[in-house]
Amino acid sequence: MSDEEHHFESKADAGASKTYPQQAGTIRKNGYIVIKNRPCKVVEVSTSKTGKHGHAKCHFVGIDIFNGKKLEDIVPSSHNCDVPHVTRIDYQLIDISEDGFVSLLTDNGSTKDDLRLPTDESLLAQIKDGFAEGKDLVVSVMSSMGEEQICALKDVGPK
Amino acid sequence: MQGYGDGGDELAQLLSTMHAIEAACSSIQMHVNPAAAEATILALSQSHHPYKTCQFILENSKVANARFQAAGAVRDAAIREWGFLSSDDRRNLISFCLCFALQHADSHESYVQAKVSSVAAQLIKRGWLDFSADEKEQFFYQIKQATLGTHGLNVQFIGIGIMEYLISEFSPSTSSAMGLPKEFHEQCRRSLELDYLKVFYGWARDASLNVSRKIAGSDSESLEVKVCNAGMCLMLQILTWEFRYNHNGTKSINIFSAGVRNDNVLNNKTECILVQPGPAWHDILISSGDIVWLLNLYAVLRQKFSIERSWIDCPIAVSARKLIVQFCSVTGTIFPSANGSQENYLVQLLSGIILWVEPIDAISKEIESGKSESELLDGCRALLAMATVTTPAVFNSLLKSIRPFGTLTLLSTLMGGVIKVLFSHNNEEETWSWEARDILLDIWTTLLAPLDSSGSGISFPPEGAAAAAHLFDLIVNSELKAASASVYNDDSDSDYLQPSISAMDERLSSYALIARASMDVTVPFLARLFAERVSHLHQGKGISDPTETLEELCSLLLIIGHVLADEGEGETPLIPDSVKRNFSDILEPDKHPVILLSSIIIRFAEQSLDPGLRTSFFSPRLMEAVIWFLSRWSATYLLTREEFNNKNDGSLPGSRHQLQSQDSTKTVAIYFSEYNYGKLVLDAVVRISIITFTAYPGENYLQGLACHQLLHALVRQKNICVHLVALESWRELSNAFANEKMLFMLNASHQRSLAQTLVLSASGLGNSEAANQYVRDVMGHMTKYLVDVSSRNDIRSISEQPDTILSITCLLERLRGAARASEPRTQKSIYEMGLSVLNAILVLLEVYKDESSVVYLLLKFVVVWVDAQITYLEATETATIIGFCMRLLQLYSSHNIGKISLSFSSSLLNDAKTEKYKDLRALLQLLSALCFKDLVDFSSDSIETQGTNVSQVVFYGLHIVTPLISLELLKYPKLCHDYFSLLSHMLEVYPEMVGQLNTEAFSHVMDTLNFGIHHQDSEVVNMCLRALKALASYQYKETAAGKVGLGSHASDPRNPNGGTENRIFGRFLRELLQFLLFEDYSPDLVGSAADALFPLILCEQSLYQMLGNELIERQANPTFRLRLTTALQFLTSANQLTSMLDRVNYQRFRKNLTNFLIEVRGFLQTK
Repeated sequence: MSDEEHHFESKADAGASKTYPQQAGTIRKNGYIVIKNRPCKVVEVSTSKTGKHGHAKCHFVGIDIFNGKKLEDIVPSSHNCDVPHVTRIDYQLIDISEDGFVSLLTDNGSTKDDLRLPTDESLLAQIKDGFAEGKDLVVSVMSSMGEEQICALKDVGPK
Repeated sequence: MQGYGDGGDELAQLLSTMHAIEAACSSIQMHVNPAAAEATILALSQSHHPYKTCQFILENSKVANARFQAAGAVRDAAIREWGFLSSDDRRNLISFCLCFALQHADSHESYVQAKVSSVAAQLIKRGWLDFSADEKEQFFYQIKQATLGTHGLNVQFIGIGIMEYLISEFSPSTSSAMGLPKEFHEQCRRSLELDYLKVFYGWARDASLNVSRKIAGSDSESLEVKVCNAGMCLMLQILTWEFRYNHNGTKSINIFSAGVRNDNVLNNKTECILVQPGPAWHDILISSGDIVWLLNLYAVLRQKFSIERSWIDCPIAVSARKLIVQFCSVTGTIFPSANGSQENYLVQLLSGIILWVEPIDAISKEIESGKSESELLDGCRALLAMATVTTPAVFNSLLKSIRPFGTLTLLSTLMGGVIKVLFSHNNEEETWSWEARDILLDIWTTLLAPLDSSGSGISFPPEGAAAAAHLFDLIVNSELKAASASVYNDDSDSDYLQPSISAMDERLSSYALIARASMDVTVPFLARLFAERVSHLHQGKGISDPTETLEELCSLLLIIGHVLADEGEGETPLIPDSVKRNFSDILEPDKHPVILLSSIIIRFAEQSLDPGLRTSFFSPRLMEAVIWFLSRWSATYLLTREEFNNKNDGSLPGSRHQLQSQDSTKTVAIYFSEYNYGKLVLDAVVRISIITFTAYPGENYLQGLACHQLLHALVRQKNICVHLVALESWRELSNAFANEKMLFMLNASHQRSLAQTLVLSASGLGNSEAANQYVRDVMGHMTKYLVDVSSRNDIRSISEQPDTILSITCLLERLRGAARASEPRTQKSIYEMGLSVLNAILVLLEVYKDESSVVYLLLKFVVVWVDAQITYLEATETATIIGFCMRLLQLYSSHNIGKISLSFSSSLLNDAKTEKYKDLRALLQLLSALCFKDLVDFSSDSIETQGTNVSQVVFYGLHIVTPLISLELLKYPKLCHDYFSLLSHMLEVYPEMVGQLNTEAFSHVMDTLNFGIHHQDSEVVNMCLRALKALASYQYKETAAGKVGLGSHASDPRNPNGGTENRIFGRFLRELLQFLLFEDYSPDLVGSAADALFPLILCEQSLYQMLGNELIERQANPTFRLRLTTALQFLTSANQLTSMLDRVNYQRFRKNLTNFLIEVRGFLQTK
């Protein structure tokens, strides 16, 4: 499949594709990239050459956006890399259940109950304390390649 | 001081202290309870009058460490109690130290003697201004006797040591702290330099001279050698003294410049420090014939020790050579003018030194087989010193009296030898040949650089030109050999051209200087080499691996680029003068070597347009070299402005019949002008750049070079733009940029640069209508796309797709590039461009609130666009922009205040913080840009007509931004700089708004100001001082007019009822005075500090009086007290200063403050 076709397809059917091809040379620091089938945020890009008079290749260091692990990859800069489709959706937090799941209010009024509380101590505490104090909390849920996770928290103040 | 105690009690006491100290010393050595041991020793040095005890320990203790500590205690106590000691006590202490050091000269613990000597030196300096000449004479008599060897060699060695300590104590940079005014140190230095330094030098010389006679018969470990070495070290130390009073000694002591080295004009590039002691030293340095003795001594050493290989690095040989090199650097008024005495002197030196470097082949062979290289290197350093103090002609003639050839020929041979060895080692770093090559290149640069810049005045001897040509031949051939050998190195650093250029840049510019000394030979030579390589490439096509030749071509392109053209450093470089000098007689363009060489290379570069040749020869790296060369070359030669002068001369365009009257640079300029081949070459250059974008996908570095260096440099010149916009190739480029997907594959920052370049080229169009239309054509598609995307209903879902993010990122970068290219002529279309996307930007800011990199680009575009546009806008347009910025700020703050990002990875969290910091900077820049409207405004009506108030937006913004800016964040230099420039700007333009800030924001602003005054960056301090000035003068003027001014803010908000202590201006007055009087800062700040101090004093007159009195009372010394009182009076009354805040008074006060500081800082600051 050529690049052009793929672009066309992605426009027509938004959200169907989990990843998009993009030329390695155009991927910048702070962008996203798929390394070893994991969605990563690029924290370092360096280029080198295959021999003095050879072609450029890019060396990427990425951090898995879900588990924080460091991954690396080397790609010739004119080749394509996969870039993950990363979405973020804000939900209002309505409940925290005993068994570690959260209950979130979606835009259309239904609830989403399949998301676990984050495991990280400090942010767990922030969510729990805020909720206990009766604050109105909005959580951002980041999802990519079939995985999702709470990634940010904002206090919109008591109503 | 009395003799040791008669009573047994006292003796017992002394003994017990001694034992305590000894015990402490040994326990420190064994690490047993070191804290307690240190406390014991500290107690001794802090006790009252410990001298007797210390002397007792020094004389009786068997523990060397205890003696050492006792000497230290004497020093500490004496410096502390000096003022309370009787003059007898002072003298006795010094004599004791001197005698002790000299009497125990043969002791084995030499560090104790060294310590006691240094204590003696420090005490002599401490009392220097109090002692009479007779008293000093007494001390020096003792030292002199010792130094001259009356009491044996050991004593002589110690004597010389004491002098070394004395001199380093008196030199401000090496002196020990004594808690005394800086003025004191300066007076001591001056007195020593004027009255004693020469005498000391004489003693040192005599000492080494006397013992040197006996050296011939002794071995290298003997005491004589040690003493002789010490003597020479002392001579060297005296010759490295920074002579300041070498003229007439009348210079008054100015403590401001005292810290700054007066670097000599001659001493421009090299590290070679010139020795300029002044005419008084002529007899002792020059006419005394010391150098003859020194050279003979070294010759004796050479002969005597030549059996042992290591002798070259033995201390006495090292110091003798160092001293000889130092003698080569002697220059200035010490030589009576115009009788050649300096030349004779240098010839004498050279006759000795030449043995160290000649014959180079034999010497380098010896070094390769294990001999030390230091003698050769010192020889090169000596030549460098000579080159620094002479002109090229004189330098060359130096050798003529000894050899049949000149010094330049020697230099060329020498360097040839070194280079041979260097390249046989594959260009490794940090070998002796590397170092020697660098020193030798420095010599060439020293000789040739003034020739290259001034062009006339100094001439270069013909012999030198021949030598340079020969040398250049050798250099280039060696470099080429090294290049082809390096192809198979897997050294990843050198894969990119730019790092290798900057690493080699200094070397390449030295090569270029050498080549330009004889361009008539070197340019044809380079042309030949280049043509050879190119034909070799074609012959071997498809048969052999071209890589080696490619690398040689890269190397040649770098060298030729440096030889033919200078780096502009932001200005348009001219054709080097040496082109004119060397080819003045060649006026036919087809014979001009520079034209021939340039044409060969351009023709070669054009071959990259052929797809077949491109894939076989033009590797990305070679292409980088080609683009680098083209950008450097075209800045100097392509369509230069000299043609315009030509036109004014009346010569007809295109006609060559007047060429006879033109010089050779004109020939070159005309050849590449619009009437000849200029346009063709320009077209080729553009086509080659397009090729780098389309045929080298993913080669970021190469494309960056083409965008940022080559194309960007072309559009900087208007005369080139005129031709650019007429070219078919340029139209192709702008079409491709606007419409084709291909160029979206470029790195985003390259796209930004390309947009800027294209928009800038519009300045070449005839009228502003056409220019604006051109910009609309280039940018129209992009703004339309942004508007379309942002108005789609499914924007939320498509916005997160990577391809949408990519295109939006690229478009924003392009818009930013275009905005950066704003010029009056294209202002209208660029304003429209921004205006059409304002709504889209707000939508995107909302949609991408979690995608920080897009948010940053959005903010950055707005910043650049507003900054470029604001001064031109009419009232209604300004109102639109202000309203937009207000909404932008509100939206941004609603997204970001109170938000906590969570992540597993700390490095991702840190990244998020850095991005926030970048956002903040962008916001600060936006606010500053808005402020600018009130300063510079080109619009036809005042913005007030629309009821717009810039200050309101800015202060609203400040309320948003200040809570986010912590003192922690201000440690980032760029943010700090932006923040304070905004602050100083605002306080200057709208001081009245400060009163309307809420208490929290106000005190935050004041705290940051206070922080800024103590910042290291003097630019930041300067901005804070400007802000303070604005604030204080506003307050003073307002209150004088009976208004409230800052009102309740003027008193510290945290303690509104406090006395004068708590007033804002009082606090700053105190801080500023403290800063000015006691801290170290650049003298450049005095002006702005004066501007701030003056209104502050007027605001807080009574506090100022009080502070002044405090200062005076703190001063114990009556002379200083009187000086301070008078100076304070002068500060506020001299020069008819009045209490009006106008320009004249500010200037008067500046003058007063400078005088005041010069007068008092010398004794207020202590060391």
